[in-house]
Amino acid sequence: MTVLALYASLIASLFWILDPAILRETLFSERTAFSVRLSILAASLATVLALLLALPAAYALSRHRFVGKEAAETVLEFPLIVSPAALGAIILIFFNNPLGAWIQEHSFYFVFGFAGIVLAQFLTVLGLAVRMLKAAFDEVSVELETVARTLGASPRYGFITVTLPLARNGLIAAFILSWAKALGEFGATFMVAGSMAMRTETLPIAIYMRLSSADLEGTVALILVLVTIGLAALFVARRLLGRVAHA
Amino acid sequence: MLELDGLSAQVGGFRLDCVSLSVDEGECHAVLGPSGSGKSTLLHAVLGTLPVAAGRVRLAGEEITHLPLERRRLGYVPQQLGLFPHLSVRDNLLYSARARRVPEAEYRPLLDRLLEITGIVPLLSRRIVTLSGGERQRVALVRALAANPRVVLLDEPFTALHESLRRELWWLMRDLKRERGLTVLLVTHDLTEAHFLADHITVLIDGRVEQSGDRATVYRRPASVAAARFLGLKNLFPARLVGPGEVVCPALGGRLAVVDGTAVGGEVWLAIRPEQLALRLPDDPPRQDERRLAGRFEAALDLGEAALLHFRADTGVLLEVRCGSRVLRRYGIEAGDAGVVGLPAADLFTLPR
Repeated sequence: MTVLALYASLIASLFWILDPAILRETLFSERTAFSVRLSILAASLATVLALLLALPAAYALSRHRFVGKEAAETVLEFPLIVSPAALGAIILIFFNNPLGAWIQEHSFYFVFGFAGIVLAQFLTVLGLAVRMLKAAFDEVSVELETVARTLGASPRYGFITVTLPLARNGLIAAFILSWAKALGEFGATFMVAGSMAMRTETLPIAIYMRLSSADLEGTVALILVLVTIGLAALFVARRLLGRVAHA
Repeated sequence: MLELDGLSAQVGGFRLDCVSLSVDEGECHAVLGPSGSGKSTLLHAVLGTLPVAAGRVRLAGEEITHLPLERRRLGYVPQQLGLFPHLSVRDNLLYSARARRVPEAEYRPLLDRLLEITGIVPLLSRRIVTLSGGERQRVALVRALAANPRVVLLDEPFTALHESLRRELWWLMRDLKRERGLTVLLVTHDLTEAHFLADHITVLIDGRVEQSGDRATVYRRPASVAAARFLGLKNLFPARLVGPGEVVCPALGGRLAVVDGTAVGGEVWLAIRPEQLALRLPDDPPRQDERRLAGRFEAALDLGEAALLHFRADTGVLLEVRCGSRVLRRYGIEAGDAGVVGLPAADLFTLPR
């Protein structure tokens, strides 16, 4: 109850300086539409990449015992404990060394570019994705996979037909929460991609830019857009998970 | 058909130590042991889901110790049955055929026959969560057998069921075994279950084989005190072997004749199963080769099918006596009554101490 009241009072404070005309203007402006499109696209790409990479790592951590497993688990969760600004700085420094420079020359240009936004968000959510997927796989009994194999299933067939369907609640939850976290990511994105209007202006960066220019009404309008998208994603996730659980 | 040769495996601090046994074709071999004795560990070593530290597993003469699990053709029903909760009964039963891409014409006759024997046709469209405990057991059994395995491994699959349903499924297993010629390696801690289903029994205690042999021998003549105690034998008394077929046991009144035993000399345990002790009336004529002890019944419990009595002999020793309920009623024994118990020499045996 106290937490709800706290959140409600924070949100309510936004309406104190909300100007309906500026809200309307901000919502329908080309710049806001760009930020929304960029944020959704970058967050979606970063989340898909993070889940693809996290899936085998989380499964290995859930199913196998090996020397140095705890150390590996800690390293894989490292983005969770490093501040996004520090993570962004690390990425920036990486692209300033010969290997990073070579990668940029031979693939995408990450610094101050769209690829940099995706990379920053990807690294920010990777730890969360590994942790959530591991928890999802931990929930599926190893015995079921063993039985599947005695019935003639290869490890891959057993994974696809037994493990993945039974872990789907966790997978959906991991996707939505990782996506929401990527969408709201600021620190690492700002360090890597900077704040260039209509180029690297994701929603959180647009909020920062508006606030920097003392445009409080515009800031509030963008905050509401970001909060609405985030809450809608969480709401859809809850509905989806509820439906899956009762299916 | 299935041979385990000096199989050893390590799980944390527990070691399965050099287990050897063989299961003949069409035979049910029960591995009997208390909780934590390594029964499930043994099954996992056979399945290959646990690394084998030493020893070999052979199936029909072919070594399968390091063969991938899906190519071993071993059926497996774990304690929790391992039914896939996201699939219907039908999809669970067809899982193996789909995984192996077996044409319907090949798997259908066997599956249809198994469905007929177990009577689970009405369950086919049901979801697993809607099934009762007994229905789940049947589905799990049919699913394992429909894959046409060479040996079926059962890890206490009937433990969670109530007595009458368990017995019903034991009969079903016997029918399936007879009709399909099943080769089964059963793991259980239930003595009655092992006797009901198994032709051979291996007693496993603390990761080691205490005894292995045919059902009747293991039951009547445990080979060690650990095996005897696990098999429910409480009548164990210190004795001394003084000659061929002769022991001195102060607790049972001195010198006695014994017919067989595993002990070879010196200090031994003298043992007799509770159902081999005979209730006698004080004026019953003496019988050859039977020691009689006078005393008092401290407890007399009618368990329905059988009765259990605690008899304190005048020598001070406590004996456990098992007899039919009708016998108890015929003798009219109650706790506190004086009585006489007979120990037939043919049923006394010795164990190493």
